[in-house]
Amino acid sequence: MLVLGIESSAHTFGVGIVKDGKIIANEKSMYDVGTTGMIPKKVAEFHISNSNNVIRKALKTAGLSIRDIEGIGYTKGPGIGNCLQVGQIIAKTLAVRLGIPMADVNHGLGHIEIARLMSRLEDPVVLYVSGGNSQILKATGKRYRHYTILGETFDIGVGNMLDSFARSLKLVPSWGSTVEKTAIGGRYVDMPYTVKGMDFSFTGLLTHSIKQINKHTKQDICYSIQETAFSMLCEATERALLLTNSDEICVCGGVAQNTRLKEMLSKIALSHHSKFGFSENQFNADNGAMIAFVAERMLSNGYKIKIKDCRIEQRYRVDRAVVF
Amino acid sequence: MHDKQIIGRGAEATIYLIKEFGVDVAVKFREPKTYRIPELDTVLRSRRTKKEASLLCSAVESGVNAPRLIAVGKYSIYMESIKGDTLNHTKLSGTIAKAAGIMLGKLHNHGIIHGDFTPANLMFCYGKLFVIDFGLGDFNNGSEERALDILLMKRQVSKAIYSIFIKNYSAVAKSYKETLIRLADIEKRGRYQSRTMV
Repeated sequence: MLVLGIESSAHTFGVGIVKDGKIIANEKSMYDVGTTGMIPKKVAEFHISNSNNVIRKALKTAGLSIRDIEGIGYTKGPGIGNCLQVGQIIAKTLAVRLGIPMADVNHGLGHIEIARLMSRLEDPVVLYVSGGNSQILKATGKRYRHYTILGETFDIGVGNMLDSFARSLKLVPSWGSTVEKTAIGGRYVDMPYTVKGMDFSFTGLLTHSIKQINKHTKQDICYSIQETAFSMLCEATERALLLTNSDEICVCGGVAQNTRLKEMLSKIALSHHSKFGFSENQFNADNGAMIAFVAERMLSNGYKIKIKDCRIEQRYRVDRAVVF
Repeated sequence: MHDKQIIGRGAEATIYLIKEFGVDVAVKFREPKTYRIPELDTVLRSRRTKKEASLLCSAVESGVNAPRLIAVGKYSIYMESIKGDTLNHTKLSGTIAKAAGIMLGKLHNHGIIHGDFTPANLMFCYGKLFVIDFGLGDFNNGSEERALDILLMKRQVSKAIYSIFIKNYSAVAKSYKETLIRLADIEKRGRYQSRTMV
């Protein structure tokens, strides 16, 4: 089946095309967060003006015409309302115009499934870390398989924390990857560390780090905030691994692009004789291919939804999405 | 120095049994974690060891059956070994629920939060109920923390057992009213509520 997926939950407008489980196109345009972060209305306007080009580019890469597409997937949620709406309207328009079925995809499930299948893991403990989400999950259920959340952040996502901190430091561009670059060669300064069982909290760490800005070098604070935050995530993941008796760890989401986090998780996997998997960075960042990928699995397994029932849901939690 | 027999292994620590002067001693050793940088790892492990040791001491002082502390190292706690099984797979009886309720009440009266008060951390030994593993515990007088302790038990046991548990807890704990109000609050919290938009 040939499915086109549209992702527009945050700063990325992405279009991916999947043919029988193989990704044949993955194009995106990204809103420049600058030093202000995301302003919902502006991001949505950006998506509207770029959508046409990205779709054309994806079709060109795949060497297809829009009439060849047999199904449409779009991000139902979670995400920023204004942005989700853009993707949903475009998907609906295409589906009605071409007379093809639609599938509403959970954004988190897209990240998880593409990482899980690309790294050939069967039933891993998943650490899903992005801007808005930081969760530890494991699939459960027999008839309707879905992911259960074992642990998650009490407040903000780890990516959100790193982005906010980058803005406070006035790093350009203001996001996590710049923090990672700045951190190289830093020394550790004391930071608050909050893990409760398999849950964690990041606001205290953020506030403390911002207060340290004039007391230590940028390099040292970036290094310490990263080490502390990732150690917290790793401790909770290790606990989940032991609790579930699993022998597979999978990491996905925007923050999974960070090499230090992957290094730490691979050490945990090694010490518990477990497998460790992750996907390529282009699929850890927001992308349309993962939406197309999950949509294709849904549609080819008989998932049906009426076009008028295709909604968006800003807080569509991943544990409510059925895995096909 | 001695023959070490591993009797338990958690995410954080390993528990050994050693013989000292002919007596069984349980040693809880917090393992180094290679994924953490040593600066952070040593601080966390020693801080947690220290806190857990002082929680154990205070728990015994509050009149609750808990392993008695023998010695504390930088990363290990030497304590009395409790012989018996945890109540993880045992069917909980009313007597146990009563004892557990009184136990948590006494701990809370002393400002001790257990942090993981579940059947898996309760043990029967010499016909008495013991509480173990203060690894996630804290000294705190907030109703939020107390309510979370209760909530954890509530989620793991049947309704009938819980009602005996909470009845006995309320009879012992001084500020039980405040705690129970907070408990109802926590259960109502909208963190998992969702909103649908067209």
